[in-house]
Amino acid sequence: MSTQRELSRVELLQGTLDMLILRTLLFGPAHGHAIAHAIEHGSEDVLQVEHGSLYPALHRLVRQGLISAKEGVSENNRRAKFYSLTAKGRKHLTAENSKWARLTQAIGRIMHPLGEEGQL
Amino acid sequence: MKFRQRREESLDHEIRDYIERETRANIEAGMPSDQARHAAMRKLGSPQQVKEETRAVWGWVWLERLWQDIVHGRRMLAKNPGFTLVAVLSLAIGIGANSAMFSLADALLLRPLPVLRPSEVVAVGTVESAAGFSQIVASYRDYVDFRDQSKSFEGLAAFADSTFGYATRRDALAQLKLGTIVTGNMFRVMGVEPELGRSFRPDEDQAAGRDAVLILGHDFWEKEFGADPSVLGCKLLIGGIEFTVIGVAPARFTGMSRYFESAFYVPIMMWPRLVNNPQDRPLEARDYRNLTIRGRLKPGVTVSQAQAEIAAIGKNLERAYPDTNHNRAAVVRTELQARIQQSPPDAQLVAMLITLAIAVLLVACANVGGLLTSRAPTRAREIALRLAIGAGRQRLIRQLLTESLLIAVAGGLLGLLVGYGGVLFLRQIKIPSDLPIRIGIELDQRVLLYSMCLAVASAVLFGLVPAIQTTRTNLVGALRSATADAPGPRRLWGRNLLVAAQVAISLVLLTVTTFMFRGFQHMLGRGPGFRTTHLLMMSFDPGLVRYDEKQAQQFLHQLVERARTVPGVKSAALTYAIPLGNDGVDGVTVVPEGYQFPKGKEDVSVLANDVGESYFDTQGIPMRGRGFLATDTHDSPRVAVVNEEMARHYWPEQDAIGKRFRLNDRKGPWVQVVGVAKTIKYLWIAGAPIEFVYFPYVQHVKPRMTLLAESFGDPASLAAPLREAVHALDANQPIYNVRTYDEFYHYRAVSTTNLIIEVVGAMGVMGVILAMVGLYGLVAYAAGRRTREIGIRIAIGAQRGSVLRMVMHQGFVLALSGLGVGLVASFGAEGVLKAMFTGKGTDITTYLLVGPALLAVTILAGYIPARRASRVDPMKALRYE
Repeated sequence: MSTQRELSRVELLQGTLDMLILRTLLFGPAHGHAIAHAIEHGSEDVLQVEHGSLYPALHRLVRQGLISAKEGVSENNRRAKFYSLTAKGRKHLTAENSKWARLTQAIGRIMHPLGEEGQL
Repeated sequence: MKFRQRREESLDHEIRDYIERETRANIEAGMPSDQARHAAMRKLGSPQQVKEETRAVWGWVWLERLWQDIVHGRRMLAKNPGFTLVAVLSLAIGIGANSAMFSLADALLLRPLPVLRPSEVVAVGTVESAAGFSQIVASYRDYVDFRDQSKSFEGLAAFADSTFGYATRRDALAQLKLGTIVTGNMFRVMGVEPELGRSFRPDEDQAAGRDAVLILGHDFWEKEFGADPSVLGCKLLIGGIEFTVIGVAPARFTGMSRYFESAFYVPIMMWPRLVNNPQDRPLEARDYRNLTIRGRLKPGVTVSQAQAEIAAIGKNLERAYPDTNHNRAAVVRTELQARIQQSPPDAQLVAMLITLAIAVLLVACANVGGLLTSRAPTRAREIALRLAIGAGRQRLIRQLLTESLLIAVAGGLLGLLVGYGGVLFLRQIKIPSDLPIRIGIELDQRVLLYSMCLAVASAVLFGLVPAIQTTRTNLVGALRSATADAPGPRRLWGRNLLVAAQVAISLVLLTVTTFMFRGFQHMLGRGPGFRTTHLLMMSFDPGLVRYDEKQAQQFLHQLVERARTVPGVKSAALTYAIPLGNDGVDGVTVVPEGYQFPKGKEDVSVLANDVGESYFDTQGIPMRGRGFLATDTHDSPRVAVVNEEMARHYWPEQDAIGKRFRLNDRKGPWVQVVGVAKTIKYLWIAGAPIEFVYFPYVQHVKPRMTLLAESFGDPASLAAPLREAVHALDANQPIYNVRTYDEFYHYRAVSTTNLIIEVVGAMGVMGVILAMVGLYGLVAYAAGRRTREIGIRIAIGAQRGSVLRMVMHQGFVLALSGLGVGLVASFGAEGVLKAMFTGKGTDITTYLLVGPALLAVTILAGYIPARRASRVDPMKALRYE
């Protein structure tokens, strides 16, 4: 891995990581390893997660009731812990999503004070 | 434990699972197997650290957040030192006032008994069903019936506080000590284990007068015996009887009374030998009601269940013993209820002071709440940003509340300091007595807890609404510009309301203060209705030296005779109670002849005193008819002197002299009224007139009497010759409470009264200062927000005067509406207070003093910031931002 790529990676904020986990689980239950890779690939390796830091985040989300954990059996008959989105988590994700949208919108308006109305 | 282990194993498994999967993925990608595992480990990071961080999540998420909030809050507060200072000081004053008042309330009323699980302990006894002013008491016979017939209690114990003559040797002069007569089960029922020795055995609770054993109070043991453990087995003389020390009470058991710590506890079976009057039969007479009963409820039994059971037993007793128990209702009360019943004036005083203190705290909270609200716009940008990057609204509210909590805790801590000052001040309340009577005004952990609870409650009170408002920010507008969010009408409306309420509350505080001050001044100016100068008092308890009733009567008779011959004595008389004294005023039940009682009531309880010949002259109480004479003896017809209040009530528009009433009940003996005395103050310098009756003490023998001597000159100079005269009669007679009435009156009426006025006044002033800070803050804030507008107005030619008026207008309207509401509330408060004083209609002067004064101050508080606003330089104001 080159240092260049290393630098361009953004260190993830805790809140963002939580959201990315929730987004990943939107597609169905997954175990820790799968979630880590999904996040890493989903952001085209730009968002770098030290995979270990995933576990505290997962446990925190369980505690907040946004996701649930269940012992299950994986594809090759191995015992594994699966995480899935709860109803509360789903709701939270939608709310967070619209907040993101609002933020980007707000930032956009600050950057370009003349919004749609201004162009008229 | 098992759950934790499972959780730990699960985490372990999860991490191993990750490493194996990653290793496998790496091998599939073509890595050699030894490197693959290494790479997987690197990708994970330190497994130990991962576990550590995850474990932290399990237990400490909330704590971590709290810590974050605290750190953040502290930073925010440090950024605005002015705001923080005003907020913390406001709360410190509000909470401090409450701490001090609570410590007083605790000492007078609230502090629980120093026994095991005090909440289970209730008071049991009988009251006079007709009378409002009646103590909850019981005779030993009644106690035994309650104890044996009730099933609601784990145990019922009874006790009586009394004074005893105490000596270690027969040839020593007896000292007066406060001790307690207790039933043998007392220590067991209260869950108190002696620190040394043992408590009473059941067999020591059976035979009257047989087992002369005692348990020492801890404090007494330390002071008198230097905490010497060898005191067990020692013999002490109590009332001339030799008692063996069998135990020492533990330090935490300070006795059943709030006001003193018993020197020793003696078994009730010794009571007959300790009473002064051999005719008293404390263990047999059903109407010898000198016991207080405390019972411990069985688990699950409620007070009302116990009440029902005891009331039924009481009804049976009324039927079975009509001579003694007629109209005596049996009751169960909680400790607090019993204490309130014991001394209603204390309860009133406490309620009033606590209410005032809470009012001050409310003003303080309104202040801080107002400050927070005015800070809301400046924080809107920060809040909006945090909302935007995904902070939950709840989380932000919690963050803001944590900030409020920080202010409150800081205010609370500083408030304790203020409270401690108040406690030191209140400790000046003194009760003039030779006995070790104390009012335990302490800043203890109960006060600490109360203050901190108040701090937290006020944080929610002043913090919640601003927090909710702040987080309801319009995101886009707030982010665009710092001042874009012009305060909505609702927000300002809330603040206006706060300030108006502050003005209203402080007006009530001030009126109450002024009203009380004037009331007390009026009372003190008018005096108690009798002479307080040229009087010396000294008290005697002939029973202390084992006089029987006859000897005691003779001694007292000779005492007065002799006192009258002492040079410098103008007149001398005996009395049981002294006016405004601490104790000795008892209620008696009377049935006035010819008076039609309302339905359901057939007698009335009035306060009484037992006095000797020429008492009214000596005490300087004006009267008509005759006082008691030497011809009023034990065998002569019963006579009494009533006060004007009683005469007016029961024999209106007639001459009470010559009228009769029955004593105790409708079948009681007739007593003839031979004189009418002026109504004076009996219990306290303030208060409405009370009905009162005097009896000749020879017809109502009391154990203790006080000699009152009127002097020609300085009364203090009589002390020595009078002592000599007493010792000539009996060299061993203890004399106590020797003091001039002047001194007593000063402590009892003047200084305590002044103290209360000062406390109330201090709270009034605090309230007003806080309210003014609030008003000042509001006007300054409102003017600040209009700087640009004011600048424009001035730039286009507005007069500074008109700008000033415009800015002040808001504050003025608020002050006026606050004053209006406060005025109405003050009328209500005055009505309540009037009961304390001989109210003669509305005290207009108070309103004339307080209203305009407060108006002037509020206008000033509004004027200063308004003037500053009107002086604004238009150029600067417009360039601003």
